[in-house]
Amino acid sequence: MTRQFKSRLFNSAVVAALLIATCVMIGLIMTIFIKGAPAISLDFITAPAQNFGAGGGIAYQIIGSLIMVAVAACLVMPMAFGVSLYLSEFVTSAHMKKILLTALLTLNGVPSITFGIFGLIFFVYGLGTGISWFVGSIILAMMMLPTITLSTYQTINSIPTIYRENAYALGMSQSQTIWHVLLPQGFHGAVTGLLIALARAIGETAPIMFIATAFSGVSAPRGLNEPVSTLPTHILALAQQATNPQALQNGWGAALTLMCLVLFFSLTALIFRYKLQKGQTL
Amino acid sequence: MSTQPDIAPRWPTFFFKRVGVTRLAIYTSVAVSALSILAICLTLILNGLPILGQGGIHLLTSDWNPASGHYGILPMLYGTVTVALIAMLIAAPLGILSAIAISEYLPRAFRIPVKAALELLAGIPSIIYGLIGIALLAPFLSDVFDLQSGRTIFAGGILLAVMILPTIVTLSEDALHNIPHVYRETGAGLGYYRYEIIKDILWPIAKSDIIGAMLLALGRALGETMAVMLVIGSIDRIPSPLTNILSPGQTITSKLGREISETAFGSPHFQALIFMALILLVIAVVLTASAQFMTKTETRLVD
Repeated sequence: MTRQFKSRLFNSAVVAALLIATCVMIGLIMTIFIKGAPAISLDFITAPAQNFGAGGGIAYQIIGSLIMVAVAACLVMPMAFGVSLYLSEFVTSAHMKKILLTALLTLNGVPSITFGIFGLIFFVYGLGTGISWFVGSIILAMMMLPTITLSTYQTINSIPTIYRENAYALGMSQSQTIWHVLLPQGFHGAVTGLLIALARAIGETAPIMFIATAFSGVSAPRGLNEPVSTLPTHILALAQQATNPQALQNGWGAALTLMCLVLFFSLTALIFRYKLQKGQTL
Repeated sequence: MSTQPDIAPRWPTFFFKRVGVTRLAIYTSVAVSALSILAICLTLILNGLPILGQGGIHLLTSDWNPASGHYGILPMLYGTVTVALIAMLIAAPLGILSAIAISEYLPRAFRIPVKAALELLAGIPSIIYGLIGIALLAPFLSDVFDLQSGRTIFAGGILLAVMILPTIVTLSEDALHNIPHVYRETGAGLGYYRYEIIKDILWPIAKSDIIGAMLLALGRALGETMAVMLVIGSIDRIPSPLTNILSPGQTITSKLGREISETAFGSPHFQALIFMALILLVIAVVLTASAQFMTKTETRLVD
């Protein structure tokens, strides 16, 4: 084999790989849109499910999903601010900082079903909460913590020291510096992290399927201790009746709706980050 | 911040002045986060390890039958490892070559939109992959290979491969893109083909980062539940021969997803399931943590 031949072989392998990967990815997106689009209508989005999901729409599933991630976001935001401020302002040893950051990143790699099992044992059996959407929110909040914390930490940590020194020179205390200098500057990072985490959390099934959701006969929750139905668990239930074309059709519709919600969150995050990178004048 | 009027120091006022509300809030949130991580580990250990006391050796058999008290976890371990290996065998070469294409072959202007698209693709929820798998991939496989059911270990592997592909591509591309341009120019100046620049100059530098990306993807593949659960077939059996991946199987995650909510809390059956969850957690944590150590870019690159 001459060098030239090897080079040509490699070039064609690279191009072929890129073509295959692109086709697979485009095919995937097209499938979701082409299969889902016929099911989507205003009725589908605003009507409750009937006949075990094979009829009707997905109104309560959308509401359930949104309530759960919204409450999870409210629970996790103060924690994320606290932990990232702790990491950037209070931990002085570089070694310790590295250990904590690695721990946070590793927490991101914990299989999502582990969180669900923890919720089942600790809350549902241990504390006797029963199947409750609020427990689901707590578990989702725990899963979202590393993503938001890391994003917030990176923004706050990249604020130049001179900002802090200026604040102290003006006679501000540490807490005043945090409230009036660091938090406003770190806000962008927190929002970007939150949006990325929301995009992931709203599609999660494994952590909530034992602890927070019921399949049929569920409407909007009236108390903390009630189950809800969510888009991912609804798709799961419909996928298991894949032999029923009507159920499958609704499953594709729910999948496209979920996909649009995910895309909404991640596109907003992308735009937010792009603006942040552009407008960074620190 | 408003200043408080100085009255006789009662306890809350005294406490807040000494510690500070801000500090208190920060410490509380750190404590709550740390405690919840601790709670996860303790809960799994306390509920999973007791099974070892009741004849732990039985766990390493291939017979899972709760009715007769047999909890052999080998079929689930086999399924988990096999599915992840199939996924890596498909996704790793495809992903690395695509990353090379994006970083070294495509014009620079393509990079940002491609990266954005990859990020969006990596965010597709796994349940949607599961729906595609059960509605399209499984019937397709059963047609092609003339099987009774397309719900097989192979189907799980293919789905996982597609799921982890965006992650592998984007992380490998980062590793290559981070190498300064002067390295490529030097290679070209020495008369290297582009292929030789990549093989002899870029690959040795980017290798550890790319391996890190693989470990991260492997960890994700092992812990994935929904997509695998729907297409794997859920039968607790090691196929014979071992390489017969066109037969149904079971992974740890699919077993947990199917059974845990129908199992009595505290029973040996429950403990055996939690024990498997614990194994999975340890593997995933080790993989993710070692991925962090691989991706330390402390090599001194000349810019």
